[in-house]
Amino acid sequence: MRPSTLATRAEAPDPSRARRAGTDATRSEAPIALTGVTKVYRGGGGVRDLSLEVGWGEVFGFLGPNGAGKTTTIRMLLDLIRPQSGSVRLFGLDARTDAVAAHRRLGYLPGELALYERLSARETFAHFARLRGGPDEATVENWARELDLELDRPVRVLSRGNRQKVGLIGAMMNEPDLLVLDEPTVGLDPLVQRTVHRRLREAATAGRTVFLSSHVLSEVAEVADRVGLIRDGRLIAIERVSEIRARAVHAVEVRVGAGAGLAALEGLGGVTVRERIEDGLRLEVVGSLNPILAALAGLDVLDLSVHEPSLEEVFLSYYDGIAR
Amino acid sequence: MGIATYCVVMLSVFPSIHDNKSFAKIFEAYPEVFRKLFNVTDFTTGPGYLGAEIFSVIAPMLLALFAILWGSDLAAGEEDRGTIDLLLANPVSRRRVVLEKWSALVLGTLWLGAVLEGTLGLLGPLFSLSVGWAGLSAAVLGSSAFAIAFATAALAVGAASGSRGLARGVATALAVASYLLSALAPLVSAFQRVVWLSPWDQALGHQPLTTGLRPANLSVLGVVVVVLLAVSLWSYDRRDLAT
Ligand SMILES: Nc1ncnc2c1ncn2[C@@H]1O[C@H](COP(=O)(O)OP(=O)(O)OP(=O)(O)O)[C@@H](O)[C@H]1O
Ligand SMILES: [Mg+2]
Repeated sequence: MRPSTLATRAEAPDPSRARRAGTDATRSEAPIALTGVTKVYRGGGGVRDLSLEVGWGEVFGFLGPNGAGKTTTIRMLLDLIRPQSGSVRLFGLDARTDAVAAHRRLGYLPGELALYERLSARETFAHFARLRGGPDEATVENWARELDLELDRPVRVLSRGNRQKVGLIGAMMNEPDLLVLDEPTVGLDPLVQRTVHRRLREAATAGRTVFLSSHVLSEVAEVADRVGLIRDGRLIAIERVSEIRARAVHAVEVRVGAGAGLAALEGLGGVTVRERIEDGLRLEVVGSLNPILAALAGLDVLDLSVHEPSLEEVFLSYYDGIAR
Repeated sequence: MGIATYCVVMLSVFPSIHDNKSFAKIFEAYPEVFRKLFNVTDFTTGPGYLGAEIFSVIAPMLLALFAILWGSDLAAGEEDRGTIDLLLANPVSRRRVVLEKWSALVLGTLWLGAVLEGTLGLLGPLFSLSVGWAGLSAAVLGSSAFAIAFATAALAVGAASGSRGLARGVATALAVASYLLSALAPLVSAFQRVVWLSPWDQALGHQPLTTGLRPANLSVLGVVVVVLLAVSLWSYDRRDLAT
């Protein structure tokens, strides 16, 4: 169960890392490629004509309200359910016929996480390590320390957040080429959440790929490079997080000692005056805040407040507009 | 454990029956129908008593019920409990999962059969009862084959439906029906022509405890098991798994 070749993994971030993460040749094909995928349940729910490609080194956020089709899509990636039409490919392999080869390179956290209640976390990881050929116990212990998880209590008695950690470590412990995580941060406290996000960013920096689902854009935006929005089984938008941010409208309120210079602000591109107040202005600023900050530099600024509307509002209002 | 305890209890009542002359008289008066139905051949000799009570009905049925519970859980259990998502995310095929679990079931059932055999064979002499090891082995093999056949039937129903309850229900009903067909065949002439269809009759109808092993009958059960296993693999591989 603990081959000596694997025992070096925990200490040394060495050549084996590059091999495990895949050579250039094994990375020529997109880790996820969905083409015209349709899966409609008897009740009418499901996903329709979904096409999506996720590249290497990318964190992709799959965003949508309850019942949008996130879990359906993810379980098709894992070959747990099969589409009625369209193709699902992982690393260029067919998700169904080459499932075993594809699964060797991925880690998965189910949305409705069910664990082996009678096993401890340690036993659970050992069970999967036997099936996957790693990692060794030291690696598991490092993960448990990092996420603050008790390894030896039966899973049955763990709290919701701690159960989630078991699922997350199970998915991440082998540092797979592709991580598929269905609502990974559900139930985690902010500290652990941040640790997980940092680990996901590190995976992407190392050239690996992360596909995660969520309801909340602000949370996804913290970690993802791109976001896809799914609603009623249809993928209605894919956008870079940086672009969503750029489109965000900031509400800026500025108060100054001497009102004379304020006129300079009004003429700036992307700036609209919403309200004039006694000793200042309330403005809406689209895009970068740099021009307005530069203009303020020459003034006697008494007070400045910047309020960022939720990314949700930006994203959703924008696509509401397009959908119509 | 339960089966072993049962064996001890049955063996400990044996001497009192053995010494009781009047018991044999009551036995003679037994209506023919009951004697055939409950397979009471001869209570007062060692193999007769064991054959009647333990090997004719109770041990095979207990073993089969135990194996059916296990078999119904093989494919449908992890799906019911939701752990199948995690298991299949590993680089293992659905076929391999079913095959490995089924192999464990076969070994487990045989092991339980061996425990049964050991208990009866070792404790028998203590209760002034001697059964030949050959007959005992034949009876245990017959019982195990019967149990494995219906456990595999439970596996097949569970693999196709994903429902543990359905698998358990169908397999148990079939096992009981198979016993009744065999037990009632001497009484109902219509059953006599189809009694060969009963796995019970194939495995245990010939009283293996006294007549010994019949490889031909066991291989008929083997074919049934292989077919059911193939159906399980095929149907489990092709369907959507529930969340
Ligand atoms: N096994 C099933 N049978 C019938 N309908 C289903 C099944 N699974 C999901 N659905 C339906 O398909 C739609 C998509 O469900 P899915 O679980 O993919 O949504 P989701 O985006 O993951 O939602 P959530 O955010 O609540 O997890 C829903 O309308 C759901 O009711
Ligand atoms: Mg979901």
